[in-house]
Amino acid sequence: MSGSMAGEEDFFLEEQRFKQYCEEFIKHSQQIGDGWEWRTSKDLGDGYLSKTHFQVRNRNIPPDLKEKNNDNVEQTLLTHVEEPLDDSQVPGVCATEEVIRYEYHVLYSSSYQVPVLYFRACFLDGRPLTLDEIWKSVHACYQAHLLEGPWDTITQQEHPLLGQPFFVLHPCRTNEFMSSILTGSRKQNRDTNYIILWLSTVGPVVGLNLPLSYAKLAPAQNTNADSI
Amino acid sequence: MTDDKDVLRDVWFGRIPTCFTLYQDEITEREAEPYYLLLPRISYLTLVTDKVKKHFQKVMRQEEVSEIWFEYEGTPLKWHYPIGLLFDLHASNTALPWSITVHFKNFPEKDLLHCHSKDVIEAHFMACIKEADALKHKSQVINEMQKKDHKQLWMGLQNDKFEQFWAINRKLMEYPPEDSGFRYIPFRIYQATTERPFIQKLFRPIASGGQLHTLGDLLKDACPSAITPEDGEQKTQVMIHGIEPMLETPIQWLSEHMSYPDNFLHISIIPRPTD
Repeated sequence: MSGSMAGEEDFFLEEQRFKQYCEEFIKHSQQIGDGWEWRTSKDLGDGYLSKTHFQVRNRNIPPDLKEKNNDNVEQTLLTHVEEPLDDSQVPGVCATEEVIRYEYHVLYSSSYQVPVLYFRACFLDGRPLTLDEIWKSVHACYQAHLLEGPWDTITQQEHPLLGQPFFVLHPCRTNEFMSSILTGSRKQNRDTNYIILWLSTVGPVVGLNLPLSYAKLAPAQNTNADSI
Repeated sequence: MTDDKDVLRDVWFGRIPTCFTLYQDEITEREAEPYYLLLPRISYLTLVTDKVKKHFQKVMRQEEVSEIWFEYEGTPLKWHYPIGLLFDLHASNTALPWSITVHFKNFPEKDLLHCHSKDVIEAHFMACIKEADALKHKSQVINEMQKKDHKQLWMGLQNDKFEQFWAINRKLMEYPPEDSGFRYIPFRIYQATTERPFIQKLFRPIASGGQLHTLGDLLKDACPSAITPEDGEQKTQVMIHGIEPMLETPIQWLSEHMSYPDNFLHISIIPRPTD
């Protein structure tokens, strides 16, 4: 059992507050074009944060593109992604299966009173990635993080609003690590956006990065300076 | 008058007669005979169908066999839902035996979780128990238990040992003497017609004035469409473990006596048969 119980109530995230932090988060995302949106379920009005992004695996870069500098390569490849890839029209570009679509959802767990990160990835032909395949795309230093991280495990679970299989970072110890992060900022009397602090900690482990400008909404914490 | 403990036994030992048939497009070397089995309502499909798998694999070529999955009238069956819930939700008003189709190919990735080993079932089962205790006791009871107690819950379920299971589970059904019940009730309400797989929210078993909340109170709060007005025709049934409990039943009592082994009340809202 973790240390003192006194004051632990403060770190449980109440659902209304969750929605408020998400609203703030979305506003900033819109300002910087980071692609997050708020989705509500039709019947009960509860909602969640959602982001989809595409990533190209570098293995099949065509020889003529290698000469250009790195930024342009990614830009060029990503541009190709937006149109339907037709092998006969664009010879030598990555085959469809090398483009991966990542989807991230942030839902609220009323049972644990914390946010929960759901994610899944698939190739453009719809074939889903296994958990192993997702790991391979996570930066090596975060693979080690996972083994020591404050979460039991990553498992496949049913998305509570969509009913489809997603991978989930288990929420039952979120409160533990968030407590230590929040204590520090509370002591300095800063108003912290729980969602940004939380997502900047757990996100990178599964390939989700937050641009540094989010730090404006949540004053930087030493431990997470590297990850955002 | 039946004792409350008898209810626990009746829930645990409930069975559904089932007929498993191999999907016609599966490639076999011989004709596949259907396989009949009594399924425990409180268990999970992938935990109790080893014999079904062996039976059909005998008539198939090795290379044609990959992860087994089950389907009823075109709907893939979620192995991570208890069997009794699946039956109540999809087939309770149809003739027995329950006819389930067995597949070994074309696993529906968008609908079903993978279940590569018994460990996956155990992890899922324990996660549900932990979530239920987070609701009932802020996780205090489950966290105070030793790993061997957690193991005993799983082994009791896996080996169909009522006494072994309840020796530990009874602690999860207690509450402090100064309270009249759990903090919140672990429940999920299912309707086959909605995109949302289930409704789950915080619900206290005791009202602020100290009265016990009923099943009817829960439904009014979480799923009002399930309770039709008095003058209207009751278009739906509210089913738990194959029966329709009276709406006046205290929800605290239902949680203690009619939860599944995962400590959740899984409630089905289904169309009332018109006959």
